[in-house]
Amino acid sequence: MTATVKPSALLWEHMHVLGVVGYSDTGKTTLLERLAERLAERGRVATIKHLHEFDIDVEGKDTDRHRAAGADRTYGITDDGEWFATGSDRTLRDALEDVAPEFDYALVEGFSGAAIPQVVIGERDHAGDAIATAPEADAVDVDDVVDALEQTEPFETLESLVWRVKDDPAAERAGAIATFTGQVRAKDGPEDDRTEHLAFEKYEGVAEQRLAGIEQDLESRDSVLSVELHHRTGTIEAGEDIVFVVVLAGHRTEAFEAVSDGIDRLKEDVPIFKKEITVEDSFWVHER
Amino acid sequence: MEWKLFANLAETAGRKDIALDLDDDATVEDALEALFERHPDLQAEVYENGELAEHIRLLVDGTDPFATADGYETRLDADAELALFPPVSGG
Repeated sequence: MTATVKPSALLWEHMHVLGVVGYSDTGKTTLLERLAERLAERGRVATIKHLHEFDIDVEGKDTDRHRAAGADRTYGITDDGEWFATGSDRTLRDALEDVAPEFDYALVEGFSGAAIPQVVIGERDHAGDAIATAPEADAVDVDDVVDALEQTEPFETLESLVWRVKDDPAAERAGAIATFTGQVRAKDGPEDDRTEHLAFEKYEGVAEQRLAGIEQDLESRDSVLSVELHHRTGTIEAGEDIVFVVVLAGHRTEAFEAVSDGIDRLKEDVPIFKKEITVEDSFWVHER
Repeated sequence: MEWKLFANLAETAGRKDIALDLDDDATVEDALEALFERHPDLQAEVYENGELAEHIRLLVDGTDPFATADGYETRLDADAELALFPPVSGG
């Protein structure tokens, strides 16, 4: 991936995700515009829109013909750098993972079934935490929503954490980046009941304190320059990522050691609790 | 002051947060007694031989009073946050 220019004041920001959900014609798009304008003053904004049907790139255009001929992804790019892309098999999560390293905010219109922070208009059913609700979109106070959004858990990926350590002022002394990704194992052996998902609960506030303490301890070692630990919470499906450890160091030996110690200490010290839901059963993991 | 419960302990109590109104000079032990009075099932789950089982963790404002203060006799501020949880299982 090529480097993307980010405003330097924002180098340390994490990406926050916000959905706008409501039935048709309740003013979702106008509200999304108001939010985007406000957030664009603070950082880079990406938006994602749920479509009921594919309606860009009309029939007969060259790009449409590329796609019709079997291309899984097609880009249209002008000399000025404006562009669009079309393609197949993309989920909301895929799109969020794409934008997470480079953007400060992702605004999502629709996708009421997504477990992301949401502004809920007109009592629409929704799967995420409602950080604001209103009978109609015009009644939403954008400043209140922005304040509440900053309190939500940022969306992180391995890539977004790697980018953050690469941005560290000490990076010019770095010769190594080592990482660990923990993911949900579906089966421990051939006879094992298949794990459908894990549900993680954390002690808000104290968990973050402990994670920061581990990061600082590791960063105080010779040659370890920057450490990022991130643990997702909520429901995580089989095969999805749970936890990341990213270490920027002068040399590989110290980088590998810090990654290994980082995940061991996280598992020992950070108040996070895991419930396993298999096809047959559900149980808190420490009880097994 | 407030108790925060996690994982199976929150399920046993049927709730995650429990506010208590205790005397000014209340201790960790008083807070535990008040908690068990409201949720007797919890006592069986976290006590062994009359004290907290070895695998159960108790924190007062994020720190372990058995390591850094007076254990059960630790005095609590009126706005103290106490937490009770089983072994951690992140990752």
